[in-house]
Amino acid sequence: MAAPLRFDDVQEGDELAVRSLFLSKDQVRAYARAGGQWSPRFTDDEGARREGLPGMITPGNMSMGLLASFLEAWAGPGTLRRLGTTFRGLVLPDRTIRLCAAVTQKEETTRSIELDVWLESDEGERWVLGTATLALG
Amino acid sequence: MPLDLDPAIIGQEFDRTVEGPVTAEELVAFARALGETRPEYTEAGPALVAHPTYCVRFRGGRFYPESLYKLIDVRRGFDAGKDIALGEPIRPGDTIEVRSTLHEVYEKTGRTGSMYFVVIRFTLVNQRGDVVAVVDNRFMHR
Repeated sequence: MAAPLRFDDVQEGDELAVRSLFLSKDQVRAYARAGGQWSPRFTDDEGARREGLPGMITPGNMSMGLLASFLEAWAGPGTLRRLGTTFRGLVLPDRTIRLCAAVTQKEETTRSIELDVWLESDEGERWVLGTATLALG
Repeated sequence: MPLDLDPAIIGQEFDRTVEGPVTAEELVAFARALGETRPEYTEAGPALVAHPTYCVRFRGGRFYPESLYKLIDVRRGFDAGKDIALGEPIRPGDTIEVRSTLHEVYEKTGRTGSMYFVVIRFTLVNQRGDVVAVVDNRFMHR
């Protein structure tokens, strides 16, 4: 297991290595079940279309969860202190998404860092935007 | 103040509901559904804690204050985003009290007309009195 990221190892402007992943419908259904969001819009194309959607969509909460995991895979478990997100577009499953982040600020007194984070399509369309705070050792 | 809303209800607690106890199985299933493999989040035992976004799973007993249901069609709302501030980790066996307040209501005008944003704040407190998270849920209504 990699050692947790240290505050002194990070610089403002650092960009995390982009994580690309294929988001399957089965994974979205598994999240909907585990996350208490079992609803046609998150589990079933036909049910979602009856709600006026183009097909089943990914819960915003799941997008947040994927971003949180992405950040902690970089900095270490337990480092995330705050995550704020805006859901701008429908995240449709059965396609590749990209998780991205960049360090915007370091706070010496609290040994914490601020980041811009976002989830985008394979074509670079940003569907979820946000900011995060991580506490580092 | 957008809508015909009594400003006095902003910041007032409108629901307090205890949920849980949280089980190890629930925590592991949640983390695995996000593709997690790290033992802190996926292996039952004394070191197991909730994935940091597990806190968004709690919803309390009523999502909106009663007076708001009369002003907006809650079925036509969209989840516009969330802000979570994390406190003590959630562990198996924890019971979580969800304290719900109407935190903010504001209006924005876009190309397609006016939109109302309603922010419901959940303050999540465990059985020891520790705040485990503050979750601001932002919903958009037309």
